[in-house]
Order: sequence, then C-alpha cells, then structure tokens
Amino acid sequence: MTPERWKQVNDLFHAALERNAADRDAFLRTAAGGDLSLVREVESLLASHASSGGFLEVPAWGVAPELMFSDEQASLAGRMVGPYRVVNEIGRGGMGVVYAAEDTRLGRRVALKALIPDYSEDPARRERLRREARAAASLTHPSIATIYALEEIDGVLYIVSELVQGHTLRDEVRAGPLRAPQLQATLLEVAEALAAAHAQGIVHRDLKPENIMRAADGRVKVLDFGLARSAAPGAGRTMTQLTQAGGAVGTPGYMAPEQLSGGSIDARTDVFAFGVLAAELATGEHPFGPDPAAMLRRMTELMEGRAVSGSGSWGSRELEQIARRCMRATPSERYSSGAELVTALRQIDNVPAAATPSALSVPLWWWQFHQVAIAVVLAALPAIAWAIRNGIGPPAGSRIFFAALVLATISISARMNLLFTSRVHPASLQRQRSVVFPWVPWIDSVLALLMFGAALSLENQDALAGFTIALSTVIVASVLLIEPATTRAAGIGN
Amino acid sequence: MAEDRQSVDSLLPLVYQELRRLAASYLRRERPGYTLQPTALVNEAYLRLLKDRPDRWQNRAHFCAIAAHSMRQILIERARARDAQKRGGERARVTLDEALVAGGDRSIDLVALDEALERLAALDPEQARLVELRFFGGLTVEETAEAMNISPATVKRHWTVARAWLARELEGLAPS
Repeated sequence: MTPERWKQVNDLFHAALERNAADRDAFLRTAAGGDLSLVREVESLLASHASSGGFLEVPAWGVAPELMFSDEQASLAGRMVGPYRVVNEIGRGGMGVVYAAEDTRLGRRVALKALIPDYSEDPARRERLRREARAAASLTHPSIATIYALEEIDGVLYIVSELVQGHTLRDEVRAGPLRAPQLQATLLEVAEALAAAHAQGIVHRDLKPENIMRAADGRVKVLDFGLARSAAPGAGRTMTQLTQAGGAVGTPGYMAPEQLSGGSIDARTDVFAFGVLAAELATGEHPFGPDPAAMLRRMTELMEGRAVSGSGSWGSRELEQIARRCMRATPSERYSSGAELVTALRQIDNVPAAATPSALSVPLWWWQFHQVAIAVVLAALPAIAWAIRNGIGPPAGSRIFFAALVLATISISARMNLLFTSRVHPASLQRQRSVVFPWVPWIDSVLALLMFGAALSLENQDALAGFTIALSTVIVASVLLIEPATTRAAGIGN
Repeated sequence: MAEDRQSVDSLLPLVYQELRRLAASYLRRERPGYTLQPTALVNEAYLRLLKDRPDRWQNRAHFCAIAAHSMRQILIERARARDAQKRGGERARVTLDEALVAGGDRSIDLVALDEALERLAALDPEQARLVELRFFGGLTVEETAEAMNISPATVKRHWTVARAWLARELEGLAPS
C-alpha cells in the first residue's frame, strides 16, 4: 500500500463510520466506485475496529509493568567471583545488586556489590568511581560501613565493603515513627557519621533511610559514603556533562534545591537530606508529602525559596527546629556541616539520658561492668598504700602512696570517660577508646607491680600484704586477659 | 523540522537513561506510598531534567514526545531480550486487563506491535507518532493534541483508524 492509497482508505473509513451499520455496505460500494480491493480493505478495518475493544487503550507501561520495572541483572548467588564466594543476594540498588559474600583469602564476610554495566563500559565513569572509592575507603568510623576495595573481575566492577547485617531505616519507618530515646540516638549516630566524613571533605550526596542500616547491636551504619556521585545518570562523553550529571544525582525526595538545580554541592547538601531523614523518622511521614505529586509540588516550592513545612507530630520541639533549619532552601541558612549538627543535637536537653540504647547489648554490658569493677579495685590500691605506708618506712612509704594515687586516678579517669561515652555517645566509643586506651594498660601494670613490690617488703602484716598481692594480681589478670576479652566481645576493639 | 529531529535524537539517550533509572527506583519502592502511575514517572523525569538544563526543552510537549519514544525503546529492547532468553523462541504476550478487552484479544505482542508501527510510519508518519505518544508515552487525547499541535478531534480520528489497522496487523488478518 502507498501513502496515497492509505489516505483514500482513511477517508472512506471515517465516512463509513459516520453512517449506520445497515447503510455502510451500500455506501461503500457507491463511494469506492467499483474499486473492490478498496472496499475490502475498509470493510476489514471496520470489522477490526468493531472487535478491537480496549486494544492499546492502556498505555504500554501499564500493560507490561514487569518489562518496564524489571531488573536485568541475573543473580550470582552460589557462584565464585574471583576470590569471593557469593552466598546470597541481600538487596538491589541504583548502582547494582548487593550480595553477602565470603572473601576466601581473608576468610571474612563482606558485602559484594556487582555494578551495572554502565560503570565498566564507560571509562570516564569507571575512573571517577575508582577515585571516589579510594577516598571513601579512607573513612573509618563506627557508623560508616567501611569500603574495602573496588575490584574488576571479568570486566565487571565490584565494590567490596563491610557486611552490615540488619535492616534499613526504611524498614523501621514503614512501621511508624521511631520512639524518642532511639530516635535521638539514631540521629546522633548518623550526624556523627556525617561529621567524620565532612571532616575529610567527603559528601554523601544520597543520604536516605534506604542507605542506613541498623545492625544487630542496635547501632546504625551509613552505607555507600561518597559513591553517590558515580551513580549519576547520563555520565559520559565530555567533562562538563560529567560534572552536570554528577551534580544532579540523588533521590528526589531528599535532594536539596542546589542539588536539584545542578548547583555546587557540599556538606550542607547532606545537612538538607539529614533534615528530611529526621522529619521522616520523627513523624513517620515524608515531610514533602506521601505521594510523588505532592512531593513534586513541595520541591517546586523549595526551588522557589519557600520553606518546607511538614505535617505529623514530632514529639520534640527542639528536634523539629533542628530539622527545619536543615531543610532551609538557602544552604547558608542551614548547619554548615555534620559537626555543627552533632553539637545542635547534643544540646537537646534529654539527649544524654535518652541516648542510652534502650536494650543495651549483653557484651557491652559486660565491658561496662568490667570497667566499673576494675575502677573499684584500682581505687582500693591507694587506700591500701596509705594503710601500709608506716609499715614500709617514712620516705619510701609516702612515695609509694603518692605514686599509687596518681596512677590510679589517671586510670580511673580514663575508664570513667569511656564508660560515659559508651552510655551517652555509643557511636563514638570505638574512636574515643583508640585515643584514650593505648596507655592505660601500662599504667595499670606499673601500679600493680608497684603495689606487688610494696606488699613483699611489708613485715608482720601478712594479711594486708596477701590482700594487696591478690588485688595486684587481679589488675594484671585484667590487663592481660579480662580487658581484651570483654573489649573484643563488645566489638569496640581496634 | 530536520533540525528539530536532530535535537530529539541527541536528547533521547538522556531521557532514556533517566526513565530507566526512575523506573528501577520505583520498582524498589523508594517512594513511600507509591502506586504505579506513568504520568508521575514522566513528570518526575521532566522535572529532574528540566532543572538540569532548562534550555534543552522547548516545552513539556516536546519532552513528552521524547519520553514516549524512550519508553518504546526500553520496552521493546526488554521484550526482545526476554524473547531471546526463552529457548523455544516463543514470544511472550502481555496480558491485558480483562475488563478492558471485552470481545478483543487478551494480549499484545509488543515486538510485533513495534514492527507494525514501523510499517504504519511508512504509510503515515503522523499516525505512527500519535500511537507512540498515546500507547508508549501514556498521554491522553488532549496531551497528545498539544504535543502534536493538532486538534483533539483530529487525534481521535487518527487514533481510531490507526488502532483498527494495528489490531488487524497483529491478528494477521489483512486482506491480500
């Protein structure tokens, strides 16, 4: 058929449609002027029209959602990828499929993210990801899932990172708002993670409940730090396109206005997303509305510089004020970084008490119990030194007492500091411990040896000497055995 | 017109990737309380790409035309991939909502439809474009009229005849 012929068919088809079914036959034959193939063509189209019902009336993506919305990547579960034994699939994200796997060289469990082919196929994108993975791998913080490596195996890129077992904050918020003590502890941990990253010049860019996991011990870990830029769509070809695409990445409901408009991105962009996260966790609802249409409207308002208002009840006025400041349209009106956020959150009256994890993990309880017990033993030693100073003799006895007092005070202070941290800011315990603790075992050992020596030089006071030796032995046992064991069990060792 | 066509070709990959990415994120239910709505998907893609480079898009209709073509590419590409996966070469047919197909066929072979649409384009490019906007882009009659700069009545006329022709092509009942 030619286009001209098709035009003829069209005209006749519409003319026939306007007539009653009964008159059509006669009309067609007259109008076609003896062109029988034209009549047959139009008749067949009319028949098709009559029986076509809802044909094509539902748009393709409504008809074939599984095609539109399916993921092409096949599962790797049960297979070996280089040195990694893939155990099972644990999630799918914009960058690829995530598996729990075992690194057979090191015998440790890892999260293995198989990146979608876009990354391996585009050299510029791959290079950018490599740079970002290198920067992100330098981040070590108890609330950040550590990146171990970026591997290229058989032409596919994989990000290997710490395996966090638990559930995402999205799962929690689906069940409703978080309760006050846990809410504030959670937000503080996320803010501390941001502060640590911002201090190293790393911006997350895609902070949202899906990217935050709660581990079995109740603490949270932020995933995919610093990798979001590489997830930008449409990256490729020129450098300008790269930066533009890099600027606009994120998840619409959590993107700051400057991120949406492709402007420059810094720590304050994360602060904005933090505000949305805080609002969502506190009220159980997204502050821009429950459906995409409302969300788009609110985002347009934001772009125009209007403030965002959320609905739902917050529970805490201070927290609401903090979140609202985070969500200001103008970056300079927000908190400047994660560190400022941490300060603001800590100023909320009830944080110290409230931040105590509601259900303290059992290993951590043992570690805390050990700290208290050993502090009591340490405190007893200067007291004994005081009691036995006359038995040893004036100059040496006094010196031993003063030395014991100073050493015990330092050690007890350090332990109390850690105990406080573990109750109030559990997220920063590991970091705090690595600062405070390296020299504490030495102090304890010196104190124990000092008292041991003092006890041996005692005459005619066997009971007191025996007691002192026993306590010193407890200290040595603590340094050598108990302390490392409880620390390891609580998972706060280095 | 030729210049217009060229700009569409250069924007296509951009819209295509954005729609694919958004579709994947909708699949993972990252939007709270989301129900499948093509219009929301197109709107969101439009908003994002508009903020990125406002100068690229003449208007919403211009964007919709590109989005519709992207959607067609995505769906056909995936339908072909799925067909290739099935060993026997038996083509998957997509089941329609039964309430909507009283008296009609209950499924559509998307790959066959795509091929038929190519044949229609040879007869009348405007009708083929219209079907693309309505079926692959999910546009209403009024939106299609706006996008093509023709009257809604003309859209309906073209739609009726193109639909009848395509239905017949897919049934393989054309008179010789």
